[in-house]
Amino acid sequence: MPQSNNIKSKFSLFSTSRGNSELALIVSLLVVITIFSFMSEYFLTVRNLTNVLGQASIIMALAMGVAIVLISGEVDISVGSVVAAVAIPLVEIMNATDSLMLGIAGALALGLMIGAINGYLSAYLRINSLIVTLGTLFIIRGFVYLYTGKRPIADTGYLENFFQLGSGRFLDILPNPALVAGIIVIFFIFIMRHTRFGRRIYAVGSNAEVASLAGYNVRRLRFYCFIICSLLASVGGILLSSRLGSAIHTAGMGYEFQAIAAVVLGGVSLAGGIGSLFGVMLGVLILAFVSNGLGMINLPTEWQLVITGLVIIAAVALDAFKKKSR
Amino acid sequence: MTFKNLIRGTISGIALSACLAASTAFAAEMPKKVGYITNYATHEWYQNVIKGMEDRAAQLGFEIEVIDANLDMAKQVSAAEDFMARNIDVLIITPVNEEGVVPILRRAKANGVPVVLEGNPAKGMDVLVAICDYDTGYHAGVASGEYLAAKGGDSARVMNVGLPLLSATILRSNGFMDGIRTIIPGAELTHDLDGAGSADRSQEVASAALAVDANINVIYGINDSSALGGLQAWRAAGLSEDELLVVGTGGEGLAFMNEMAKNGPLQLEAAMFPEKVGFTAIDAAVSMFNGEDLPEHIVSPTTTFDTASLSDYYVLTSDTTRQIQWDAVNALVAPASCMKYASDL
Amino acid sequence: MPATESIKQITNPIKKILTSEVGFLVLSLLALIIGISSFSEQFLSAPNAVAILHQSSLVLIVAIGMTVLLISGEVDISVGANLAFSSCVVMAVINQTDSIALGALAGIAFGTSVGFINAFVTTVLKVNSLIGTIAMMMMLKGGVFLFTREAIQNHHQLPLFPKIATGFVLGIPVPALIASIVAIIGWVIMTRTKAGRLFLATGANQKATRLSGYSPERVKFAAFLLTGALTGLAAVILASLINAGQPTAGGGFELIVIAAVLLGGTSLMGGRGTILGTIFGVLILKIVDNGIILLRLNQDYQIIFPGIVLILALYMDQKRRGTTND
Repeated sequence: MPQSNNIKSKFSLFSTSRGNSELALIVSLLVVITIFSFMSEYFLTVRNLTNVLGQASIIMALAMGVAIVLISGEVDISVGSVVAAVAIPLVEIMNATDSLMLGIAGALALGLMIGAINGYLSAYLRINSLIVTLGTLFIIRGFVYLYTGKRPIADTGYLENFFQLGSGRFLDILPNPALVAGIIVIFFIFIMRHTRFGRRIYAVGSNAEVASLAGYNVRRLRFYCFIICSLLASVGGILLSSRLGSAIHTAGMGYEFQAIAAVVLGGVSLAGGIGSLFGVMLGVLILAFVSNGLGMINLPTEWQLVITGLVIIAAVALDAFKKKSR
Repeated sequence: MTFKNLIRGTISGIALSACLAASTAFAAEMPKKVGYITNYATHEWYQNVIKGMEDRAAQLGFEIEVIDANLDMAKQVSAAEDFMARNIDVLIITPVNEEGVVPILRRAKANGVPVVLEGNPAKGMDVLVAICDYDTGYHAGVASGEYLAAKGGDSARVMNVGLPLLSATILRSNGFMDGIRTIIPGAELTHDLDGAGSADRSQEVASAALAVDANINVIYGINDSSALGGLQAWRAAGLSEDELLVVGTGGEGLAFMNEMAKNGPLQLEAAMFPEKVGFTAIDAAVSMFNGEDLPEHIVSPTTTFDTASLSDYYVLTSDTTRQIQWDAVNALVAPASCMKYASDL
Repeated sequence: MPATESIKQITNPIKKILTSEVGFLVLSLLALIIGISSFSEQFLSAPNAVAILHQSSLVLIVAIGMTVLLISGEVDISVGANLAFSSCVVMAVINQTDSIALGALAGIAFGTSVGFINAFVTTVLKVNSLIGTIAMMMMLKGGVFLFTREAIQNHHQLPLFPKIATGFVLGIPVPALIASIVAIIGWVIMTRTKAGRLFLATGANQKATRLSGYSPERVKFAAFLLTGALTGLAAVILASLINAGQPTAGGGFELIVIAAVLLGGTSLMGGRGTILGTIFGVLILKIVDNGIILLRLNQDYQIIFPGIVLILALYMDQKRRGTTND
């Protein structure tokens, strides 16, 4: 197919073996943006477009982590609960020390711990990771309820930099959460594509036995992936908490489904070994713009859910169809 | 934008002083676009709040746009951003969470958009339109005590199908117990449950509690779903309904009207008139738009009615719609402030 | 015949394991019963048994379908949303027709049609069932509010309807009776019929099934239909139990059902699992739930314990089996 080769070379910057579906995703994103631009006068404004980037930042961080775990051949659905959990040490430490940095360190430490538990149970004890993380999804949420007594923990010090982290704008344009998410995306695209570590994760995900024979420490690699995922979920939790100015026990509920949907929409295979983080980023953005656009044209929430569901099925079905016909 | 608002404020200020004699607060300028971010549009309570808002906005000649946060605080923040990107004149918000809206309030202030909160207070707010949760529960408790006493009862063993998730619902439960104890000092809280505010979960936890101890004579629900879920559990356990009193809260939809029509155990309803809350919130939004001084808490009235006086306030117009009797509801007098607030917990 | 050969190879070891696996679950169940009843004398009382049976029935009925579905290698996340929607359909049709039978039929038909769409999306459109049914869950959650804005009441006050689920036949609560019949039929199908062997074979080795002349797609289609139909049946009972159609019902129901099935020893990878195990899985989870209320523990433990139990059960199951999920 000369045409697809042509496209591939054009988009060599993003090219993997799946450059084709990345192009399809870029086109879909542009189509979504074009349609809504005609339907609402407020959609195609700098303010709205940058707003959406900020709104997407939390799912973006989660989706990157979930994608990396999926590529390694495992799955992590505990991320929604991690989002709520890490906000607790973040806000508690900030209130005690008046230091945002110490709070973030505490949040990341808890995320690291959760990731290590998920990783140890899944990668070393070899308990199915879907079950492990389904279990920790419940357990973490339960402890969040117990600790908070189902009440919000307020940022009583009203730290200015905490407010700015969630609600300020970089150079008065880009929301700070979007900046953080953007840095994460670029960093991990680089890691997954251009480092030995990244290539090994793909190898482990596509065939663990072969990777093991090639001398890779499969267990350790997967263990690291769980930790990365949990840390990224913690970043999502920190961003959300800063947007809400508090730690809220119900935060992040159901985000695991949103993240997985975006990841799969972005072309990552649930079977492992396949997918690009650039595609995942596009998947997140498509869902975010669809959601924002439907809100902009005043479509009720119920329709938003229905249409998002249809978009996911259509995109994944189309992808499956393309693979079959190739 | 702030300049525009400044001019608007000045104009409306002049208009207001000119119209003082007319004694209507709304002779001044009307906002063009009012946005409401609701907590959970799929709940009957909020549907009727929205209905009251739409009716009042239609009377005043403007439209109201609604976005549903669907219990997700992050979505509420996004919705506020979206509304501000669309240059909304006034925002009305029912906070998903009291702390989570604090940054939005700050950002709205920076953007010069006035905000009316509904339901839950938050730090940094200008005005809140809400019922008094404690008072509502308290008066229902007093009415329950009187009801039992009139039947010759001198003891009350209560199953509270509560929702400890929210301060508002804790206040209702506490108010109910305090109220009933003014008439029956020995009233006992036999079961204190978390029914999650939903009928199916309430039915489940109440079933288990009744299996432990079915020796109760009052079921109090922090909303109608909780009360009716508790009642269904009672029925599922095959217990006699003769001596049971069920007290619902909210009067948010049709469920309690159907149950009261049977003249069974659901004899008392602590009605909170969501339509009236919506009505009042719109009036507050117009006042905010015109830069008027408002009290920090505008109380929307509540009352406890029984099966006989239900029809004074609500009439079923078909199987699926009800009509609030505005004259009766508008005649209710709300207290200037509540007996207890969330900060008293 | 090569077909029966390969099927035999698969079923024989399962039968061997079955005894020890169920034995383990029975032991856990007994330990729970003794433990809870020694702290709370009401635990073994008749009304509490009825309460446990009522609550277990809903989960068990759907879990039977889910067992078959997981065994054949697929999953359905939409059962909770389907339960809520179907319960509304039941009540709406009863209000329309004044016929409980028609309402029940409509509910089951609706549940089945959701199963049909899930089956179509999975087997024809080739969308991974985890993603396809997450999307279906979103669409049903949105769709139910387009169908009804509020809980649907029993408008004509048919007194018989709420009595069905709260009634007794021969001293057994009706929902428990229905659940038992469903479980017995499921058990007979899975252990005594060719259909049962086909479900197991499809999940264990799809290619082998195809080679032996059966269509794995059709087998999976049947499993989806069954799960949908049983969800519809559970919805009839739920509507009768709360005497209304509740659009918000079924939150988290899918996770409880799946947790119970996995606890019962069914493999997420397909090809292994028993109805008997599922029955014990459901009872264990529901008894823990009940025990937490009975012992007046903080109800937040109701989401922590299932998580711990799930991970622990899978780990011990794996230890006993001496294998891993590699």
